[in-house]
Amino acid sequence: MSLDLFLLILLLVAGFYMAWNIGANDVSNAMGTSVGSGALTLKKAVIIAGILEFSGAFFLGSHVSQTVQKGLVNPDVFAQDPTILLYGMISALVATALWLQTASYFGWPVSTTHAIVGAILGFGVIVGGVHSVMWPEVARVASSWIISPVLSGIIAFALFTVVQKIILFAYYPVEASKKAIPVFTALLFLTFFLNFLTRGIGGLSVQIPPTLTVGLSFLIAAIAFIGSKLYVNSKRFTVETESPPPNLIQHVYSLNKALKHLQRVKLSTQGERREEVASILRSLRGVTDQVRNESGFYVKSNEFHVVEKMFSSLQILSAMYIAFAHGANDVANAIGPVAASLEILRSGYLHSTSQVPSWLLAMGGVGIVIGLATWGWRVMETIGKKITELTPTRGFCAEFGAATTILLASRLGLPISTTHCIVGAVLGVGIARGISALNMRTVREIVMSWVITIPSSAVVCIILFYIMRALF
Amino acid sequence: MLTIARLFGKSPFSPLQSHMKKVSSCIKKLSEVFDELANGRLENIEELVSQVSKLEHEADLTKNDIRNHLPKSLFLPIDRSEILEILAIQDDIADQAEKIGHLLVLYPLKTPPEFLQGLNDLFARNCDTFWITRQIIKEMGDLLESSFGGKEAERVKGMAEETSFKEYQADKEMHALQKRFFEAAESFSTPVFYLYTQLIAEINQISHISEQLANRIRMIIEVK
Repeated sequence: MSLDLFLLILLLVAGFYMAWNIGANDVSNAMGTSVGSGALTLKKAVIIAGILEFSGAFFLGSHVSQTVQKGLVNPDVFAQDPTILLYGMISALVATALWLQTASYFGWPVSTTHAIVGAILGFGVIVGGVHSVMWPEVARVASSWIISPVLSGIIAFALFTVVQKIILFAYYPVEASKKAIPVFTALLFLTFFLNFLTRGIGGLSVQIPPTLTVGLSFLIAAIAFIGSKLYVNSKRFTVETESPPPNLIQHVYSLNKALKHLQRVKLSTQGERREEVASILRSLRGVTDQVRNESGFYVKSNEFHVVEKMFSSLQILSAMYIAFAHGANDVANAIGPVAASLEILRSGYLHSTSQVPSWLLAMGGVGIVIGLATWGWRVMETIGKKITELTPTRGFCAEFGAATTILLASRLGLPISTTHCIVGAVLGVGIARGISALNMRTVREIVMSWVITIPSSAVVCIILFYIMRALF
Repeated sequence: MLTIARLFGKSPFSPLQSHMKKVSSCIKKLSEVFDELANGRLENIEELVSQVSKLEHEADLTKNDIRNHLPKSLFLPIDRSEILEILAIQDDIADQAEKIGHLLVLYPLKTPPEFLQGLNDLFARNCDTFWITRQIIKEMGDLLESSFGGKEAERVKGMAEETSFKEYQADKEMHALQKRFFEAAESFSTPVFYLYTQLIAEINQISHISEQLANRIRMIIEVK
């Protein structure tokens, strides 16, 4: 029994270390933008991220955990000797941890998700044979690695284009955002709760009927709409310069057009008519200049700053959304293998119907929070300073796109890389001419990390497995 | 992992603005030269012109820095070639300032006061155009914020139109001055005459280049 106890301790330590690692390194990607844009102080960001990461892991972490636990390698293949699977899972965990440590020492951009999936697959192929790996499921996961950054990019691009059209290009950006922000808030709550409630709250295994889910989601969205409407209309968001009546701005646009057309007529006619048009043009110029001055159209105002200030509150919500989604997806990297091994240790074999125990999800959540509290805040501080490019409007669009994709993937039980989703979303905003400079080399690094991480962690896992089998 | 932070490249826009700042300090120095000239304190001119040269060199260094930091792998909201072109036009203005400065110290100028006043006025007209363009570059940040569209873009377009108008005024000023100058041409010695024709032409280039720069930026907005 002492061997089992040793394995149990090793397992929990390795799992906890993984969770710690996720909290220490990856959470900063979610909340860093809010710290960078000044929407949240570092302390508040850490507290909020802690709470949301934990709830994400606890309530929605079971779907992805189950995929990692028994979706990739068929546990039935190892039915006659489940300890092999046990060793395999433990070596996968340790291999991933070692690989991540090495990678972060050298500063390579690798993903925890890819490392753990690679390790489990490597073990499955070499030890259990090619047939032990559930290839359709693996194909689903692999395709999601390509689809998820693209999808989050598309969502972020679409959302930012809308923000451009209705807010940044508006005559009165502040007024426009006062109208748009409640809609965005409602949309955020709606997608969040639709995603959150439809599959039942995993950690508590509560099932809610679909009609109630939809009704509840819309109700919450409506409340959010009203709440944010009250918030944006409060006194704190006022423009310093007096706004002229809106039709004056319209007049400036129209007069500009009239000038342009008259100019065209003048250039293409000759003789008396030309003189006539020229005189009209002269008097029109006078009128236009007058209207321009009255409208204050060419006076610089602080409107964009007020808009960004308004969006910074919305960005806090989207950062919370992404923290939750991140917890839901990434906790599986630590908990999936632990859950599988624990099941084997306890009952001698792994059922293909076994559930991930709630307390284990809670443990993963706690690990993430501790990682965040001990090390992650420092990473968040550094990353926050580096990504000030993501102003609240851009940050909101990027985070919304990424979080929706991650949460969707979590519900479908797909282990994806949250970092890659965020990168996809930021690129989406950049393509919409939102960001001044993007380093495309990072994209190449990401593809490289797929190519390198999966075989490397697989090899390390296989070596560890043979060492373990030789020892015990 | 700092993948997200690494995603953001070094933006060329704020160096572009700081380059323009250097260019505008060249023009400022040059207007000091013209002030001294008007006050008849010719002994200070040499020193001021060498300062203009120094500032022009500093602008060159900033220009090279931007060119070095614009790798192919950088994804920008506007074309790389457009940024480099804007940079080149900005740099032309600094070069122009240096050129005018050198012409002023090339030969001891004994300028009759009425022509001195004319030169000063011409330079002031040209500066008007330049300062509007300078303001456009200053607003680059806001243009970027609004992704080169909307109200901000409309305002920049208005400013570009204004530069065209100012440039036209400067041209008129130049023609008038040339006419007066050629009427009195007989009374000048050959080197002075040559120098003056050169000076007038070169000073007027400032407004030409400024207008060109303003229109270049306006084109970015139109293309959007």
